[in-house]
Amino acid sequence: MRILVVEDEPDLLASLAQALREEGYAVDTADNGDDGLFNAEGTDYDAIVLDVMLPGQDGWEILKRLRKTKKTPVLMLTARDQTRDRVKGLDTGADDYVVKPFDLEEVFARLRAIIRRSANKTTNLVEIGEVKINTAARHVFFKDRIIELTAREYALVEFMVLHRGEVVTRTQLYEHLFDENDSSLSNLLDVHVSNVRKKLGAEFIATRRGHGYCIE
Amino acid sequence: MKIFKSIKWRLQIWYGLILVVVLAGFGITAYQLERNRQFRQIDEELHRRVGVLGNALHRPPPRRPDAEQQPFDRPPPGQFPDNGPPEQNFRPPTEFHLPEQDAHFFDASDPHGFYFKIIARDGNEIGRSTNQPAALIEHALESGLDSHPANNFDQVSATPGNSPRQPKVLNFDNYREIRDVLPSGENIAVGCSITPELKELRHTALNLVAVGGLILLVGLAGGGWLVARAIKPISSISATAVKISAGDLSQRIDLTEAESELGQLAAVLNSTFARLETAFAQQKQFASDAAHELRTPISVILTQTQTALNRERDAASYKQTVEACQRAAQRMRKLIESLLALARLDAGQEVLKRLPFDFSKTISDCVELVQPLADERGVKIISELSPLEITGDAERLAQVVTNLLNNAIQYNNPDGEVRVKLAAENGLAVLTVADTGQGIAAEDLPRVFGRFFRADQSRTGAGNSGLGLAICKAIVEAHGGTIEVSSEQNVRTTFVVRLPLG
Repeated sequence: MRILVVEDEPDLLASLAQALREEGYAVDTADNGDDGLFNAEGTDYDAIVLDVMLPGQDGWEILKRLRKTKKTPVLMLTARDQTRDRVKGLDTGADDYVVKPFDLEEVFARLRAIIRRSANKTTNLVEIGEVKINTAARHVFFKDRIIELTAREYALVEFMVLHRGEVVTRTQLYEHLFDENDSSLSNLLDVHVSNVRKKLGAEFIATRRGHGYCIE
Repeated sequence: MKIFKSIKWRLQIWYGLILVVVLAGFGITAYQLERNRQFRQIDEELHRRVGVLGNALHRPPPRRPDAEQQPFDRPPPGQFPDNGPPEQNFRPPTEFHLPEQDAHFFDASDPHGFYFKIIARDGNEIGRSTNQPAALIEHALESGLDSHPANNFDQVSATPGNSPRQPKVLNFDNYREIRDVLPSGENIAVGCSITPELKELRHTALNLVAVGGLILLVGLAGGGWLVARAIKPISSISATAVKISAGDLSQRIDLTEAESELGQLAAVLNSTFARLETAFAQQKQFASDAAHELRTPISVILTQTQTALNRERDAASYKQTVEACQRAAQRMRKLIESLLALARLDAGQEVLKRLPFDFSKTISDCVELVQPLADERGVKIISELSPLEITGDAERLAQVVTNLLNNAIQYNNPDGEVRVKLAAENGLAVLTVADTGQGIAAEDLPRVFGRFFRADQSRTGAGNSGLGLAICKAIVEAHGGTIEVSSEQNVRTTFVVRLPLG
């Protein structure tokens, strides 16, 4: 899962990015509106965390422009908690909002919710053969036993599950699992796929040669 | 009682009382006039009959039916010929019968009609009409004949022709009687029943009471309506005031009668309400902005600490977190200090020193203070300061100068310049701080001194609270000065501070 965080307060941006990375997300950051819009338009993020008050273009402006080309789920961070601000945000096309000051747990939960909704999934529980996944608790069970996955491995499983039945290309996986700071030239992706197959059964992820991977 | 405290009812009661007094005055006067008119009429009739009787008494008894044609002129009724007392010409009569020709004056068949009684000088009755009310006879004798014939005669003869005889007018129950003493000494009493007149008077009185009552009712109703109309704006005002005191500051009094005294009062109240509403809205906005400004540093502290506590970290990472928290706390401290300073200046609680000092010295100190920042940005500061002594709080005014200089450097272009000038002008110390920076958009100029105003609506630095210029303005105004700004976008921005000299 790759996320863009747009926030102009450096200390807030740094800690948000760190916390999200530790949650297993690939995180890109922008500290002003112009860079934020550029990134948001250029990459298929799974979600965007967008502050309202930004130098350059503000959050509303970015949202309005982004909605012309992309449906990326957007979580607004706002210091204004009046109803009209919330209504404005939701009407402009935001998927959800969090009022500052917020708890990280709440931001995580809302992010998970908007990502799930954008993939048309309504529950946190997915069952594929003998594999069960709880996306809220980030737990994966195989043959009713909890399986330890690294954050990156979990992200791979979650992304594949959200796109169940579709062929997911290697490029897509690179885009969604690694952020701009990771080297995409490595064979890291093959390592993760191989590890997941070892833990959840070889048939869990099928390879479509020349196309990518797929979960039936 | 509550009802007597209400202006409406008090007005109504006073109005009603006055109306009652006026109506009663009119009614009583009208009744009296009518009564006098009636009695005067009766008295005229009675006098006329006394005259008729007097004449008839001293006329020689008719010998022939044509005796009515008197050889001498008859005086008009009620008057006597003044050619001497009649008794010199006639023997006093001992018996009297009403002549035919005068019978129509006394209709004996009518119990309410006129009656008469004549008593001779010697006290013997010489004639009476048959319809004299029996009940009155004794009464008449008792009270009526206090004018004893002899006495009357003596009295009359004692002052012959000098004092005109005053006929007595007497009222008995429902009768009115006139007693007169003829010059020849006979007592004549003529009376009649005044029952019809009294009845008519009662009727008149009833009519007056009825009409008065009607007028009173109409007057009270009209007065009530007028009072209610006059009072109506007051209840409208108080209803609006109640709503406002309940918290709905957008309420205004309906100004339908703008010209009346109450309309003017309402207009004054409305403008007061409008100012209250604006002040409240500003206060609310200020509080909301202040809270909003505090949200970001608190978010920093929360996310930083929550992230740090999520798992075990190394010392360097904890240090980073603590430093970030410190920065956030510093920012909050600065904001709170600014807010408090503004609040104190607003409330007039800030005690400003009033000491004379050289303003140019203060300014050059400030320039020195911001020089490192200017060097860092490559901005040149050009000072042109004439020594000027002003009275005030040097520390606070230094804060103003530093703030203006900081802004001029911060919003300047690299290699730009800041010109600081102090000169005396029209008895004022005029400080000008001009930069060659990005300028301020014309639509933003009026809001520059507003609270939490920022040119680009975002935090361009943790040190910028958006309160700096608002504080400058408050300080300058507390010194009785003014501060103004003018700007040309991408060319220059100029702040001018004017302070009283001396």
